[in-house]
Amino acid sequence: MSTTPLLEASNVNRSYGDVDVLEGVSLTVDAGEVVALIGPNGAGKSTLIRVLAGIEPPTAGSVDYGGPETARPVGYLPQQPAFRPGFTARETLAYYGSLVGDDEGVAREGLARVGLEAAADRPVEALSGGMTRLLGIAQATVGDPPVVVLDEPGSGLDPGMSVHVFEVAAELADEGRGVLLSSHDLELVERNADRVVVIDRGRIVEAGPPEEITERRSAPSLLDAFELAVAGEAGTVELVEGSP
Amino acid sequence: MSGETGTGEEVAPETTTAASVHGGRPEPGTGHVVGTIVRRELRTVARTPTFFILGAALTAVLLGVAWLGGGLRSGYVPTAVDLLTPLELLVPIVAVAFGYRAVLADQQRGELDVLRTYPVAPWQIVAGVYVGRAVGLAVAVLAPLAVVGGAVAVVDHDTAIIYATHTGADSPLLYARMVVLTVLFALVVLAVAVAISAVASATRSALALAVVALVVLLVGADLALVYGLSVGILGDGSLIHALALSPLSAYRGLVLETAVIVAAGTGPRTAAPLSSLLGLALWWLASLSVATYAVKRA
Repeated sequence: MSTTPLLEASNVNRSYGDVDVLEGVSLTVDAGEVVALIGPNGAGKSTLIRVLAGIEPPTAGSVDYGGPETARPVGYLPQQPAFRPGFTARETLAYYGSLVGDDEGVAREGLARVGLEAAADRPVEALSGGMTRLLGIAQATVGDPPVVVLDEPGSGLDPGMSVHVFEVAAELADEGRGVLLSSHDLELVERNADRVVVIDRGRIVEAGPPEEITERRSAPSLLDAFELAVAGEAGTVELVEGSP
Repeated sequence: MSGETGTGEEVAPETTTAASVHGGRPEPGTGHVVGTIVRRELRTVARTPTFFILGAALTAVLLGVAWLGGGLRSGYVPTAVDLLTPLELLVPIVAVAFGYRAVLADQQRGELDVLRTYPVAPWQIVAGVYVGRAVGLAVAVLAPLAVVGGAVAVVDHDTAIIYATHTGADSPLLYARMVVLTVLFALVVLAVAVAISAVASATRSALALAVVALVVLLVGADLALVYGLSVGILGDGSLIHALALSPLSAYRGLVLETAVIVAAGTGPRTAAPLSSLLGLALWWLASLSVATYAVKRA
């Protein structure tokens, strides 16, 4: 049925000087699915997300968007979202909305989607870390992008809020978007992601639905499969070759 | 999840994805995008107390200078003469304060990265930021000069105390010329400041670059011209054109030529107005081009 992915990365390399952060990465994001990107710190997740979002060009390879023509094909949540102080959450979202032709009513809907209506008139500098992240997720969906990429949307959130973030991601997918997110919360990933991509030292070492990965690795959980898939010791930071 | 959505059985075969539900949204026009950014900058300026304090301080200093210098009691042109040197020093400082973090702050927060996923071109970002800040800066410069001009109008004029030759030609129009030229000068320096904010990678480096720019604009360029004259690179005849290379000299020359000398009816030429205006325009254009390039590369 679905033949053309919304987003397709083919043999993507990304280097910074002599440091190869991504090597030969290929993956797809289809409509209606949540793809979770997991990997140790320093594996290249954020770099891959930035390349997929079009913020950084790949050094080699390509990223192709296969969705419909639209003002904003890919929505993006940075790892540490921050907003200009002095503006309320509603004003902030309305600003981004205006850049794609939305009116302020859409901003209210965006805040409602992530459960931030009550804080709509609160200045962004007075938002908690979790609220700021939720506002960032609302920003990522501004303009109704067919693809949404979220860099660690659950980072720094309490368990309830993390669950809520994954629920929001699932809702976005249910609406027909393709969602790619990175996370270290493997329990939530296992429970919510349609597909999981494991990246280690800039390369994809495992990919597929969570249950397939655990079965393939003969592991009782995604966490165990993850530990089997990645090369480094748990609790250590692995750097890609050539890293300073 | 995917099975619960329109990507599954609910979608007709052969369709690429359920993404047809989304997308299809046309990009807003350039004017709309730039206008959105301009409005945000204007709100930022309006909500930043520092800018009001700068405007108030500039008003107090200019009023004080005009009063102590005797310009207020002598007329518009003497006031313009009294204010020229303080304006040469203070306007660049105020302009830099308005612009040196304008782009950098967005970059540091990661908002420029986010904007790359929107239909916003780098030049639109720079244009929006610049125009928004320029409106705020123009108000911050115009208001103090308007207050001083108003004070000249209400203060009783003494007869020919300082600039006797000016009394017959004194006119608010000449003062207005000086005001317009001052705003133009401020907008050129603002463009330099915005370029600095786009090039700098940290607040500290932006501050350092701003100081360097102020020194170059306020001292360096003039010293270079003096040096060029002293070693014979510049001839006497070409000096008034060479002054256009320095924004400060161009501004000073334009004010003297169009608002002061013209009132006296005689005196040496202090600037080539067209060259000076062209010089200011080139500084403005080059600075905004650098800013756009830096945003594109960021």
